[in-house]
Amino acid sequence: MNRYIKHLRFIPIAASAVLLFLPSCEIDDIADPNNPTIESVMENATVDDLNNLVVGTESGMRNVLGTYYDDVGVIGREYYRFSGSDPRFTSDLLGAGSAVLDNNTFYTTNPWSARYRVVKNTNILIDAVNNTELITETQRQGYLGFAKTIKAHQLLMNLTLMNENGIRLDVADPENLGPIVDKPTALAAIAVLLDEAAAHLQQAGTLFAFSLSGYAAPDDVTGFTGFNNPAGFLKFNRALAARVAVYRENFADALTLLTQSFLELNTNFSRGVYYTFSTAPGDQLNPLFLPNNATGEIRIAHPSYVQDISPGDDRINKVSLRDAPATQSGLTGAYDVAIYTSNTDPIPIIRNEELILIYAEASIRTNQLTNAVTALNIIRAGHNLGPYQGPVTQAALINEMLRQRRFSLYFEGHRWIDMRRYGRLGELPIDRPEDNVWESFPIPFSENL
Amino acid sequence: MIYYKKAIPMMKLYPLKLLLLLLCFIPISLYAQTTVRGKVTDFGSGKALPGVSVVVVGTTTGTNTDANGDYSITLPGASGKLTFSFLGYTSQTFDVTPAVNTLDVRLRESTTSLSEVVVTGLATTVKRANAANAVATISTREITGITTPQTMDAAISGKLVGANVVSNSGAPGGGIAMKLRGITSIFGNAQPLYVVDGVIIDNSSISSGLNAVTNAGGGGSSSTQDNASNRIADLNPNDIESIEVLKGASAAAIYGSLASAGVVIITTKRGAAGKTIVDFSQDIGIARVSKLLGMRTLTEDRVRASFGAAAVPQFVAARDAGRLIDYEEELYGNTGMLYNTRLNVSGGSERTQFFVGGLIQDEEGIVEKTGYNKKSLRFNLDHMLSDRFDFSLSTNYINSTADRGLTNNDNKGVSFGVALSSTPSFVDLFPDENGLYPNNPFGASNFLQTRDLITNQENTDRFLGGLTLNTKLQDSEMSSTKLVIRAGLDFYNLRTRALFPRLLQFQSNGNGTGGASIQGNNYNLNTNYAAFLVNNLNLSDNSVFLTTTVGVTRENFNQDQTLNVATQLIGTQSNLDQAGAVTVDQTRLKVRNKGLFAQEEFNWRDRVIATAGIRLDKSSNNAMVNDFNSFPKFSLAVNLTNFDFWSIDRFNLVKLRAAYGESGGFPPFGAKYTSLVSSNVGGSGGLLPNTQLGNEEIEQERQKEFETGIDIGLMENKLLLEATYYNKKVSNLIVFRSVPASSGFTTEVLNAGELRNRGVELALSATPVETPGLKWDSRVSYWRNTSEITQLDIPAFPLGAFGSTLGTFFIEEGESATQIVGIRGDEGVVKLGDAAPDFQMNFHNFFTIQQNLSFSFLLHWKKGGDNINLTQLLTDLGGTSFDYDDDDDGDGIPNAEERVDALGVSAETFVQNASYLRLREIGVYYNVPIAFLSGMFGDVVRSVRIGASANNLFTITDYDGYDPEVSNFGSNGLSTGVDVMPFPMSKRYFFHFSIGF
Repeated sequence: MNRYIKHLRFIPIAASAVLLFLPSCEIDDIADPNNPTIESVMENATVDDLNNLVVGTESGMRNVLGTYYDDVGVIGREYYRFSGSDPRFTSDLLGAGSAVLDNNTFYTTNPWSARYRVVKNTNILIDAVNNTELITETQRQGYLGFAKTIKAHQLLMNLTLMNENGIRLDVADPENLGPIVDKPTALAAIAVLLDEAAAHLQQAGTLFAFSLSGYAAPDDVTGFTGFNNPAGFLKFNRALAARVAVYRENFADALTLLTQSFLELNTNFSRGVYYTFSTAPGDQLNPLFLPNNATGEIRIAHPSYVQDISPGDDRINKVSLRDAPATQSGLTGAYDVAIYTSNTDPIPIIRNEELILIYAEASIRTNQLTNAVTALNIIRAGHNLGPYQGPVTQAALINEMLRQRRFSLYFEGHRWIDMRRYGRLGELPIDRPEDNVWESFPIPFSENL
Repeated sequence: MIYYKKAIPMMKLYPLKLLLLLLCFIPISLYAQTTVRGKVTDFGSGKALPGVSVVVVGTTTGTNTDANGDYSITLPGASGKLTFSFLGYTSQTFDVTPAVNTLDVRLRESTTSLSEVVVTGLATTVKRANAANAVATISTREITGITTPQTMDAAISGKLVGANVVSNSGAPGGGIAMKLRGITSIFGNAQPLYVVDGVIIDNSSISSGLNAVTNAGGGGSSSTQDNASNRIADLNPNDIESIEVLKGASAAAIYGSLASAGVVIITTKRGAAGKTIVDFSQDIGIARVSKLLGMRTLTEDRVRASFGAAAVPQFVAARDAGRLIDYEEELYGNTGMLYNTRLNVSGGSERTQFFVGGLIQDEEGIVEKTGYNKKSLRFNLDHMLSDRFDFSLSTNYINSTADRGLTNNDNKGVSFGVALSSTPSFVDLFPDENGLYPNNPFGASNFLQTRDLITNQENTDRFLGGLTLNTKLQDSEMSSTKLVIRAGLDFYNLRTRALFPRLLQFQSNGNGTGGASIQGNNYNLNTNYAAFLVNNLNLSDNSVFLTTTVGVTRENFNQDQTLNVATQLIGTQSNLDQAGAVTVDQTRLKVRNKGLFAQEEFNWRDRVIATAGIRLDKSSNNAMVNDFNSFPKFSLAVNLTNFDFWSIDRFNLVKLRAAYGESGGFPPFGAKYTSLVSSNVGGSGGLLPNTQLGNEEIEQERQKEFETGIDIGLMENKLLLEATYYNKKVSNLIVFRSVPASSGFTTEVLNAGELRNRGVELALSATPVETPGLKWDSRVSYWRNTSEITQLDIPAFPLGAFGSTLGTFFIEEGESATQIVGIRGDEGVVKLGDAAPDFQMNFHNFFTIQQNLSFSFLLHWKKGGDNINLTQLLTDLGGTSFDYDDDDDGDGIPNAEERVDALGVSAETFVQNASYLRLREIGVYYNVPIAFLSGMFGDVVRSVRIGASANNLFTITDYDGYDPEVSNFGSNGLSTGVDVMPFPMSKRYFFHFSIGF
């Protein structure tokens, strides 16, 4: 027993050795080593922080763009999307047999979530801008004008797909999402958002604190070239507002808005704002480009495009005759969609040709038929066609306007929406007896309705 | 004389005094001490056994036999008992009286290993005979004793009771998925923790970025279908002394939140005092594909139907010229040469022992240009600094290279098997005289060109180091206390190189990306530290032993992975800067854990053994980093035979045991963060919210396991039965939920379920024959496990395959966690199978004939368990299935047409039973008799052994694929058994030669 007690004197030494480990027993909460957190930009964000969000917003606008265009282009019977790996472009989207649009399939869910992801980014940007002391008031107005304009555009794209099913507007708090609102409410809210943005842009000075893609030279068509300062961006904003106004059938407003936009009543059709693509690191490639005469993954122009186009119309160049026709699921076409010639070509968001056609439409609907004919003749002349010869009545001019929109805005996501606006979806060509033309996409399954 | 007054310590005089006494009094033993000498040999072979522990019962007096098996020990009293024990042998105890001066002992090899120790704590062990858990252990004899495994993971396949080990493919460098007692996590960590000599080592499976070329997993540069190996493969199996597996929380609770999927504890070989032993061994062998499916026999009609009318003249020309080529044989029919060279040196003195293990391994695969190459050097050192301090050092440097070819699923038609599946025998894919390969008109790639020109290599440099320092703080008859300080380090740099030159069919003429050079650099550093105080207290006159452990642990994990994808390559260059476009991905991981550990073990006369312990853990991986998670454990074992009332002599062991414990599993790294990820435009950096919404309340998965069993030993443990039942519940199951996408996010990680595994494990060890002429050891094991998702708070969801058209796993409340569902006609989506086997059995047999000839084999039977066989579907779609035109069910419709017609109608065709009976290992060895050796070489050569062995010699299965063991999705999660054009398995045949000095 003595020996035992004698050796107890080592216990304290050992105990203190063990205790040496204990004081350092607190663990640091390690920040995400791979990415910044959202919290990091929420307080006193710097111009750099905010500009990263601006670039991310512009970048995110392009996510899943291919699926969006395939959705509206295939349902609008502009082209067929053949895919070796996925039959649903020719079954579900064309309503083949008993197939319907599914609320939990990529063509519904992917565009929806991609657009709301950008909406989330604009909401983060708006919060960050409102919570920092490190920028001037003028700079703040610039950021807000940008954020709200893009947010409105992204909401509009989802509303375009969901149509009568509506969209969610209030999505700032993931735990507490606002209700799904109907189409008129959503369109009205988008118009208000664009107006708010316009008010911000008017107080945003002469230069943004951030840069957008594109160049300073105003005639280049890529990115925000010519629109990357508050005054230019305001014109882009007003152009979008004009599009929303015609969707809302506020045609007088549309004409007013067009005067504040970059509308030019001439053949400078391509002037506008574009999505840009490049091979730079972390950048994206144009998802709408597919090489001609490819097999497997292809976009084949709907045969009616070539059948219906007027002789001599240079818009025939938007398609290209294949070496061999392509067939899938009982659908055949001989022409590739050939608008883009490389995987870095820009895709228009809105451009002057659409504005001229909005001008024509709003003029028709406000009974200023001469102005409408003038506008339509600019389009016709620009595409190697003679002046309009038909009757100058509202009904006839609506037909002519929709026809010009069909060919001028081919593969730009308008045909389906235009026919829907005028209640003419029944006029779209049906290729197989059981096919259907859808009016709206279902609200995605994940919204837990 | 003055000196004496200064009280010189007694000790100093002692040697002199002893000498005097020895000289004068030993003959009449006046001092009443007895010294015993002798030799310890193997009962069977008569070989001397070095390192046998000889202990005087009831004292701390003990010694070890030297290299020649000789020992000498002096008893403290005139008489007593001596116990001889040695790992792998049955201990024996002898009475020693003053009359006994020489005691030669022959120890019998024990099949039952009741005397070996198993881990019960972080710094303590217990005799297996006293253990309360069924801990699976495999020793050198089973790991490398029968044949030479290519990698550490191959060394354990089919050998562990309670484990479901599935090889992902036959690609050089290995890759396994191991589930201990069923699936324990769906999205969390499902692979066990590996601990080598106290060092927590990394077992990541890191993609080499093949997805950038194969597009197997959709967009992105890497996916789980890239057929990466596991890093545990780096270990040299021949360095391993034993592998111990803590299969569930009841045993593994001591590892706390690291132990959700079980713990594999690996102990490496160490030196023994005595003569330096040198062992050199050389294996030469070949690898052949274990099974080829065969090619379709073509006729003109068949060619017309499957490959079009235009192909008929090509077929006729090739047939008439005798140029129909068996491309499967061409691709997978290589005979790979296998070379393994090993040198082990061990020895030491009383105070210092060392072990040096060296390995040079060079193996070719069954596909040309594939192979595995490893160099490993281990140095283990044990040293006693003084009576108070001793330390053990383990170090290991490994350099390994695996060339793994291009296999598994792909969506571009470029992997070997996918291209082969659509290629008929009449095309010519061989290079012309200029070395240029023709394009494959029936596929997106010419697989011969792919095989010859691509590189897919994993190259690892790894260092493992572990140090344990033991300090005796106090020692008395009643109590001893030591401080154990342990530090471990695992560092590796893994370089992956996947090179696709632009000459390839799928990288030229506008296809692909104009060549691709995909290079990954992966830095991994794990460190762990621990300090324990261990006290052994001996109460009530040796009838109660208490072992108390308290300690602290720290674990640090760091990973930094960079993956560069360079495309539009310049000429034939492969450097990353010789390219038109480069994209880079970087992923870092940093985890810090700290824990406290306390445990009390109680042993009453080896009759009742009880343990209670707790581990408290906190981790930077948790949402609440400084909250402790506690993981308790309790166990109780009762050895009935050690009670006085036990009177049935035939039974020498009847043990009842029960154990309960809890362990945890971390959420996936990063689950708690809501982050912004980069999304750029034209060279400007931008940020977008990640699609995963962080969950700041995410908790660890918690496993609670109860296990109980009985161990019965008969006839001096010649027959030992171990039976175990367990019930393991995992609560707080981590799942991914979809969140409303209008929030900007699409998924969230949350705790929302519970799953349960129940199972039975039986092991019967026996020595049916033991005569000097023949000894037969045998072990038969049986194990089964059933799982059920007992609770799921989110809607049921599919997981880990290719959707219900082809069959997919489906997580659903009330169903097995590994069920496979799919469409079946008008019934819609129904259960079609289950990946988990009904049961597994293995038969281990060792024969020693005439002492010098040994023969052993391992049979493994897996009954039940389904695979999703898409390899067959691909060959059917490609018109090349060997049984395409057969008609097994005699309904007039050929097999392949019937199977292809099922596509989109029923997935039942693709869900196939993958039962098998496999002769995993077989070996025969001859030891040249010692008498002969000493005649030839004198004392120079200690042993010479020659032998031959094979693995996977045969597999009996009805499964229609390359192998029933397959996993397209690698080792992760539960989606093993999906078969998409894997690298076929190989058979390996070896000739062995070893010589010892």
